[in-house]
Amino acid sequence: MAEPQAMYATDEYGRPFIILREQAKKTRTHGVQAIKSHILAARTVANVIRTSLGPRGLDKILISPDGDITVTNDGATILTQMEVEHQIAKLLVQLSRSQDDEIGDGTTGVVVLAGALLEQSEALLDRGIHPIRIADGFDRACVVAVEHLEKISDKVEFTLSDTSNLVKTAKTSLGSKIVSKEHDKFAEIAVDAVLAVADFERKDVPFDMIKVDGKVGGSLADTTLIKGVLVDKDFSHSQMPHSVRDAKIAILTCPFEPPRPKTKHKLDITSVEEYKLLREYEHDKFHDMIKRVKDTGANLVICQWGFDDEANHLLMQNDLPAVRWVGGPEIELIAIATQGRIVPRFEDLTAEKLGKAGIVREVSFGTTRDKMLVIEECANARTVTVFVRGSNKMIVDEAKRALHDALCAVRNLVVDNRVVYGGGAADISCALAVAKAADETPSIEQYAMRAFASALDAVPLALAENSGLPPIETLAEVKSRQVKEGNSVLGIDCMGRGDNDMKKQFVYDPLISKRQQYLLATQLVRAVLKIDDVIVAGQAEE
Amino acid sequence: MQRAMQPTVVLLKEGTDTSQGKPQLLSNISACLAIAETLSSTLGPRGMDKLIVSERGDAQITNDGATILKLLDIVHPAARSLVDIARAQDAEVGDGTTSVVLLAAQMLKEVRGYIEEGVSPQIIMKGFRQACQLALDRIKAIQVTVDKKDPESFRSLLLKCASTSMSSKLIHSEKPFFSNMVVEAVQCLDQEDLDESLIGVKKIPGGGMQDSLLIHGVAFKKTFTYAGAEQQPKSFRDPLVVCLNVELELKAEKDNAEVRVEAVSDYQAIVDAEWEIIYRKLEAIEKAGARVVLSKLPIGDLATQWFADRDIFCAGRVPTADLQRVVQAVGGSVQSTCSDIRREHLGTCGRFEERQIGGERYNIFEECPKAKTCTLILRGGAEQFIEEVERSLHDAIMVVKRAVKNGDVVAGGGAIEMDLSAHIRKHALSIPGKLQLVMIAFAKALEIIPRQICDNAGLDSTDVLNKLRMKHANGEKWYGVDVDGLEGVRDNMEAFVWEPSLVKVNAISSATEAACLILSIDETVRGPQSEAPSTGPRAPPGTAQRALRGRGRGMPRR
Repeated sequence: MAEPQAMYATDEYGRPFIILREQAKKTRTHGVQAIKSHILAARTVANVIRTSLGPRGLDKILISPDGDITVTNDGATILTQMEVEHQIAKLLVQLSRSQDDEIGDGTTGVVVLAGALLEQSEALLDRGIHPIRIADGFDRACVVAVEHLEKISDKVEFTLSDTSNLVKTAKTSLGSKIVSKEHDKFAEIAVDAVLAVADFERKDVPFDMIKVDGKVGGSLADTTLIKGVLVDKDFSHSQMPHSVRDAKIAILTCPFEPPRPKTKHKLDITSVEEYKLLREYEHDKFHDMIKRVKDTGANLVICQWGFDDEANHLLMQNDLPAVRWVGGPEIELIAIATQGRIVPRFEDLTAEKLGKAGIVREVSFGTTRDKMLVIEECANARTVTVFVRGSNKMIVDEAKRALHDALCAVRNLVVDNRVVYGGGAADISCALAVAKAADETPSIEQYAMRAFASALDAVPLALAENSGLPPIETLAEVKSRQVKEGNSVLGIDCMGRGDNDMKKQFVYDPLISKRQQYLLATQLVRAVLKIDDVIVAGQAEE
Repeated sequence: MQRAMQPTVVLLKEGTDTSQGKPQLLSNISACLAIAETLSSTLGPRGMDKLIVSERGDAQITNDGATILKLLDIVHPAARSLVDIARAQDAEVGDGTTSVVLLAAQMLKEVRGYIEEGVSPQIIMKGFRQACQLALDRIKAIQVTVDKKDPESFRSLLLKCASTSMSSKLIHSEKPFFSNMVVEAVQCLDQEDLDESLIGVKKIPGGGMQDSLLIHGVAFKKTFTYAGAEQQPKSFRDPLVVCLNVELELKAEKDNAEVRVEAVSDYQAIVDAEWEIIYRKLEAIEKAGARVVLSKLPIGDLATQWFADRDIFCAGRVPTADLQRVVQAVGGSVQSTCSDIRREHLGTCGRFEERQIGGERYNIFEECPKAKTCTLILRGGAEQFIEEVERSLHDAIMVVKRAVKNGDVVAGGGAIEMDLSAHIRKHALSIPGKLQLVMIAFAKALEIIPRQICDNAGLDSTDVLNKLRMKHANGEKWYGVDVDGLEGVRDNMEAFVWEPSLVKVNAISSATEAACLILSIDETVRGPQSEAPSTGPRAPPGTAQRALRGRGRGMPRR
């Protein structure tokens, strides 16, 4: 920073004065210089994740301070884990995170676009255009681009029986991820999962109903979709039956113990008789509990708390398979899936409150003695679990993230079934539309609009570059073909299939995802361009 | 120097900083100017933002004068008075905080030359006060009153005021959208009282700012819930709502109570009694007919599941402010016991729903019968971004609120300042004496607003100002700066750049007062820093030395 001191003023008599607290420690950057340093920071961030864009994008390995390793290709994850310090770079991180929250997909693209826009504005600043006018121009261009997107969007039709279009979208989203080898399988899992839980009338997809679980071992191909709930627990007694058909499940949130008051209490035992009485009482209680459960017709008990060996033994004797220490969220999921009610004490247990499931079984994996409980054929089919397998933890984690992206992509289509074509086709088409609109704009903003058009090229450029194609040449060719043929579905042929028609290659992006990318990136750029003064307080010393 | 032989009289504590006289006055003025200079680039539709990073590393991006000054943490005593007037302006009218600081500083700058020439500050203050009075009278004379009776035109007036206040902010490009939102929000409120704290603002990162929405009612984030909440119904029509300040949990009734159980058979009785207590509470709630149960205190898993069983929705740990607004919206009152809940204690609303917004789930009450409250849900790409949107909207809300209270407006964009300046100048020429000079200085100081707007927009300020002076001399009183057009000037009344006149009245009078205050100071006595100063032990070593050196050099000149 050129001016290390914030505000150091002297009057006519040469007396300096202190205006700010800790003045000497504050640093200040001002004017165009500040904007330029911001642009540089943003570009650096964008360049880091640029190479992970597209189906041929590469992964990053991130090592956290604790030594945990993450291998990922997901823009939002990379940026979050990088722990950037710079303020403007932090804005970019938040940008990709909010794309992640809202859409769940396209987190890399949005940062690349924002970086490209800032890069373009640097050239305009050098020409002496006021930063806010640049931002105004970008805004105007963004409006044109979003309108154009809607114009070139296509509706994809899908029904519950014909999901081929949804699968294709999920495949596009998965294309760049580590799971691309199995992307047919993953895409189908994603589509099935979303369709199982989707509420088509309200166009709402409650993600809470989709549980994604993973376990190391096996290969990605062993990943399965379970139409039910998977709980990482096993039966409390090893001799209990390993599967229960037509289960009637009692879902309890009280321990299998004699009830205890919550108030602090004390029982003085003064004689042997009393002790025996207490023993008797406890014994009765256990029997009573088991009886109550039995009476309702339940043949499986799921308990949030534990129970001691005595209870375990009694359950075993009475042919009541039981599961203990099931966590709160899982209890809830089981209750929803089996349409049972969570019961807080034995007195409240009735037959109507039992959950129903077709089969509950224990599955074990490979040679390990790990067991998991699968509850299937539930009364309510709207809960699903995706069980991800992979050869190591990093792959499982990355596969989970990839799956999340794919789920989001499918959900977006359920919410709004308009799509644009990927592979940079939509970006190129918008770039052309914006460039055309720029020529018709009378004021200075036209320069900024043109810059916006070139920034839009950044996505196809990066795609081509990452796919090992000559970027400029490829882009120029596709662009000219789009203009000549008036065909907005031509994009970069990343996979080398020898065809640029993205419609034929089924490379789809949901419209709302693209639209969101443009809007978010433009708004962020405006925020960055508007800052002309940075005042940083000194770091607190130890 | 010979007098050094005399014994020194120690009057003040060692290390006390005293500076006095004209140099002190001038140095105070310089300090104020330095502050104003920092702020100046944020004024006007092409104003820029500041990024301020605190010691803890939190960053804020803002364009709001009062916020910047607060974050700068100013310690200079004279400069602090500027911070205070900005804050006062913020509290009083909520907008125009940058202008007030610029005006005060410019007034000081204009009279600086007179001070150096030895004009008594008292004379200057007198002149300023007179000029200020003139300016206020002039505003009252020319302000345009809008008829409140015609709701259509009144609404359009409010829209214009709101969009003028937003024009310098980040949300500039979405002005029509947000001004509509702000005006609707303010019109939701009780028109007599206009308590803006009843406008709730919720921030959800994600989405574009166009996705922000206004909810006629209350919305708050889904609270922490226990297992079972998902089985509760999530939408109601015309439900009864009960708001509680009761903990619904199975737990020890009193923390330090202890029960002595005499016989084993009593044991079960105690347990049952505890269940009985909570069940009685829950049943009372159900009997009252409530379908939505909110509580300030936690609602435990037992109660959650019990409610789920009976198709009742519940939310515990609702933040107090939100609960207060719910009560305002749906009627009823907050109950602190479950016994004796009667129908009149319950509120109702047209529709209750739990809805997904971005990554969060929100509980939304709509179509409330008593709706004197509303909620703005702001979206945006980054946290700082949303925060700035919130500040901008706050300014706009305050302006609209003021405009609703008294519907007088003047033209913005420097138009009113140019007119006042012309008016005062004309008047000054008719009076004899030094006051004439002072009033002309005041008139000139007013021109800083249009000048700064031009400078920030990259226009030739001298050129534009000359055009404006010419227009105003010809009696075209609403001509102001136009940052978009080629001419650089236009009739801002016709261009609908309007501001409530109250903003200007307040800005001019408090700027004058601040300037007078600073002018009347001729001595600072600063006590030595106490041993453990509040600024922390790590005061930079340079500062103290520099201050000492400064004093040593300044004094002998007299």
